[in-house]
Amino acid sequence: MANSTIPLRNITSTGGTDTTSMTRRSFVKNTSGVSAASLLGTAALMTNSDEAQANTEWAEWFQGNYRLMSDDEKQEAVVRLERRYSSEYGKKVSVDTKPAEEGVLFGYALNIQKCIGCRRCAKACVEENNQSRGDQEIEWIRVLKMEKGGFDETKMGEGYPDGYGIEIGGNAYSAAGVVGEGEHYYDPKLVPEEDFFYMPIACMQCEKPPCVKVCPVRTTYREPDGIVVVDYNWCIGCRMCIGACPYWARRFNWGEPKLAKEDMNPETHYLGNRPRMKGVVEKCTFCLQRTRNGRYPACVEVCPVGARKFGNLLDPESEVRRVLANKRVFRMKADLNTYPKFFYYID
Amino acid sequence: MPDTREPLNVFAERAEYWGLPVMTAAVAMLLAILSGQAQAQAREICFESRENASAVVVTEVEEGLPNVKCSEKTGGVLWWGDPYDGTVPMGDMPIEADYSQGEAVVMPRDSQLNLPPACGTACHNGTFPPPNNDNTPRQLTIHMDMVPDALNLQHGRGSIWCLDCHNPEVRNKFIDHAGDEIDFNQPQKLCGACHGPLYKDWRAGIHGKRIGEWASTGKKRWFVCTECHNPHDVQQGERNSGFAQLVPEAPPQLPRGMKNADHERPPH
Ligand code: HEC
Ligand code: HEC
Ligand code: HEC
Repeated sequence: MANSTIPLRNITSTGGTDTTSMTRRSFVKNTSGVSAASLLGTAALMTNSDEAQANTEWAEWFQGNYRLMSDDEKQEAVVRLERRYSSEYGKKVSVDTKPAEEGVLFGYALNIQKCIGCRRCAKACVEENNQSRGDQEIEWIRVLKMEKGGFDETKMGEGYPDGYGIEIGGNAYSAAGVVGEGEHYYDPKLVPEEDFFYMPIACMQCEKPPCVKVCPVRTTYREPDGIVVVDYNWCIGCRMCIGACPYWARRFNWGEPKLAKEDMNPETHYLGNRPRMKGVVEKCTFCLQRTRNGRYPACVEVCPVGARKFGNLLDPESEVRRVLANKRVFRMKADLNTYPKFFYYID
Repeated sequence: MPDTREPLNVFAERAEYWGLPVMTAAVAMLLAILSGQAQAQAREICFESRENASAVVVTEVEEGLPNVKCSEKTGGVLWWGDPYDGTVPMGDMPIEADYSQGEAVVMPRDSQLNLPPACGTACHNGTFPPPNNDNTPRQLTIHMDMVPDALNLQHGRGSIWCLDCHNPEVRNKFIDHAGDEIDFNQPQKLCGACHGPLYKDWRAGIHGKRIGEWASTGKKRWFVCTECHNPHDVQQGERNSGFAQLVPEAPPQLPRGMKNADHERPPH
């Protein structure tokens, strides 16, 4: 019975995929209650089929949790993925598994005084990290526009809510930098606008990440260099982590991700920017595929005002450490004891 | 984004100003060079930090790898295929002050500027017009494309003048406090002379930006001051602090079913 209901991704001759993707989630759904024997039977069936692609898919199903895989298993998985991605995107795609380097703890610092709200970081991130585009758009970075705030005599009598309800006081004060009142769909002709400042947010790579605590399948975890990653193959799409994250850093693939061949960045990492599937959660990884190979994250490089700084928190000569040593710094929602490794600073 | 400077007009204007009957051979040659550049500009050109100041022509650094990827909406560079493409070693920055050991490269400014290669010969040749050491601001009828109102120079709030930065004798050089020459490719030395604290931060990698390798011992391309600041117009911009306003990238997609973002606009 399960044999026919497990949806398999068919690679058509043109290299495109049909829309029924195999996610672990649908797998769990479809096979719950199926005995191991019948699963094995299915495996045999699939192996006998001529469809090499189906074998690949099948093997992906039985792939272990990344953290538990042996080096050989990782190598096998990489070869499989590289083959599949290369044929899907019509170019040579590499999937890196480079582990964290010893003595490195990645940290980030952002100058909110300099940020002009141009959103180039958000777009550069998409170029680099193979997020879904079009009507399934996913962006990892959000830029909040916030009023500088101030006191205004003409607003003395105003209080809100107007009329009935609990009077919360006169409103001569316009809110300054209250996240709840920030805008992120702003679209003026030119930025920065007078009287506003901008605060980009993304994953803070917490030292004590609440998202990791809640993951029921332990597919999201903290790597030794401090990056919180997701093993997409093990994600069941329950979205507990999205609810747990206080920083609005995680995104969910509600539909089949849309990534055109020409937009695809072929330099990928298993835990980073490799193409995702429907029904999995994704988030910023400080551009793992770049930073583990020495390069700055894409958002750091693109920032036209140079507001973004990145480096090794364990190296006192690094740019982040110099910021921490010389500037006034704060972390977002420090009261939650999440210990972000993303710092905001002002000159 | 097309380059909006019009170097050809500047020259025409200048020839008129001096009442030059015919163009000198040098100027004619220069015009030829400039029109060559105008042709290059017909190809896809993006800008890095400051519009019209750091133009990049889109090419491939190797098969399938573009030197840059640009935003369709704004023309701003979004991604560097090779962060060191077109750069040269930074030169004799006081290295002892820079406590990182890494390799530093910069994009030469003269790759972006039209006038300096010729201004010391074609126009200010050292004897004509007579070098002027007078630092009192006066109205200028040329270079108005750059400095529309010289008596109201948008840098220094009235306290500095062209020749505090430009070398009166050698026009294609800047001048430092000791009267020595500074190369156009090292504006940081010029700016640093007056903006000490900012220069210090820039050296430490806090002000300005670098691309390339994050390690403190890595190879980095440093952006120099004039790639972000227009020295003749630093007072522009809403914040009045040296960085001109930019066109923003498109806002994120609205969640499905949401018609507009009015909910997040403040009531006042
Ligand atoms: C604060 C220092 C400073 C002052 C004051 C200043 N300049 Fe400049 N000028 C520069 C720098 C730096 C550059 C190189 C710009 C670059 O690299 O983009 C430059 C470049 C130029 C150029 C060549 C630009 C090109 O596109 O080829 C001209 C011409 C010029 N300045 C004229 C003037 C005039 C005229 C004045 C006075 C009204 C003036 N400058 C005042 C710093 C200054
Ligand atoms: C001869 C001294 C001098 C040099 C050289 C100089 N500046 Fe300035 N600069 C000033 C002064 C004076 C001010 C105005 C400070 C004030 O009154 O707020 C200023 C202001 C600025 C500002 C802030 C804009 C504002 O008014 O708020 C920026 C940005 C700036 N300079 C950038 C540069 C850059 C980039 C260079 C090198 C190309 C440079 N400066 C070279 C003297 C100098
Ligand atoms: C990557 C772009 C970039 C580079 C490179 C850069 N700056 Fe700036 N600089 C900025 C921005 C953006 C601001 C505006 C900060 C703000 O709005 O508070 C600024 C502000 C300034 C100011 C105004 C002081 C202030 O804090 O508002 C001065 C002076 C200045 N820069 C000098 C320099 C000098 C000197 C250099 C080179 C040694 C340099 N900058 C290199 C982007 C840059």
